[in-house]
Amino acid sequence: MKLVRQLGIGALALGLGAPFAGSFFRTQPRALDLDSIARAIDEGSDHVSARQLAQWIRDHRPGLRVIDVRSPAEFRDDAIPTAENVPIDQLAKAHFAPGQTIVLYSQEGAHAGQAWVILRSLGVTQAVFVPGGLADWREEVLYPLLPANASATERAQVEALSHYFGGAPRIGPEQGGDVASAAPIVHGTRRRGC
Amino acid sequence: MNDLLMAGGIGAAFGCALECAGLGDPPKLAGQFYLRDFTVLKVMLSAMLTAMLGAFWGGQLGMFDSAAFYLPDTYLLPQLLGGMVFGLGFVLSGLCPGTSCVALASGRIEGAATMLGLFVGVLLVGLAFPAIEPFYRSTPFGSLTLQRLTGLPDGVVVALVTVVAVSVLAWIAKREARP
Repeated sequence: MKLVRQLGIGALALGLGAPFAGSFFRTQPRALDLDSIARAIDEGSDHVSARQLAQWIRDHRPGLRVIDVRSPAEFRDDAIPTAENVPIDQLAKAHFAPGQTIVLYSQEGAHAGQAWVILRSLGVTQAVFVPGGLADWREEVLYPLLPANASATERAQVEALSHYFGGAPRIGPEQGGDVASAAPIVHGTRRRGC
Repeated sequence: MNDLLMAGGIGAAFGCALECAGLGDPPKLAGQFYLRDFTVLKVMLSAMLTAMLGAFWGGQLGMFDSAAFYLPDTYLLPQLLGGMVFGLGFVLSGLCPGTSCVALASGRIEGAATMLGLFVGVLLVGLAFPAIEPFYRSTPFGSLTLQRLTGLPDGVVVALVTVVAVSVLAWIAKREARP
């Protein structure tokens, strides 16, 4: 038999055997580890700020996967750049590789927090969520409110990040004390979803 | 340093394989677009098939962590446009970036001309990047794979791609065997 034909048959055998070999990414459902969940919540390692996420996206952090858990219609309307849409009811069917950093967000954060618990129950431990969701993204990244007396360095950092994603900071009233360290960005009075 | 040496070795082997397959020859490459010569399709399909089966079974056998492989993000519209520009350059010059290096290394002037065009293109895109960045980042879909797109298990996708690739390769072999 010609070598080319043997190679073709070999490839076919390996390919047709693949469905019986299991998944590429082995994310097996596990029992809910309540202790580790409570510890992660207590330590704050369960979430990440919208600004931190923006820096990760801008810096092309390796293995970053941004997951929007809202409905496809809401996702089409507005979403964080590079995000993929996995509605919360589809989350259990999705594949998550061990080397990836999964960042979950929703409109205001509540659903993302619940999605985080779902992923933990599936054994996905490398997930975090954005507590304020897309609303935080707008307030902290796209249109952050900078105090009028913000330092030049802080202003440049915030402006650079905001401009990178097509936004522009707003200038608010002056803040007392050490602006750069104590209150880097003035938040609105929106009620947090989570 | 070891990584760099390995990358250099793999690059040299890749270049040798391309040259051995005759892909440093522009008329041969352009022939693919006119359906006269199927060398490009044969080389690319067999390379993708080998890489896919190697990645899948290597991971299954614990030789490496397939999950750690870098999956580039999909930006649908900019990548569609980029693909069309790439294809246009490919058919005009008869070379793609990899084969232009091979052609240059084999002493073909077309390789030098294509590489010059490639670097000019990279420079122009770099200079224009602030203006085109919103488009560059538009229509993001994250790491889009056939598994995510179809919802099928990984093994089934591997099997389907294998069947399609082997069928196409067999069809080409049959076509070439005709007098």
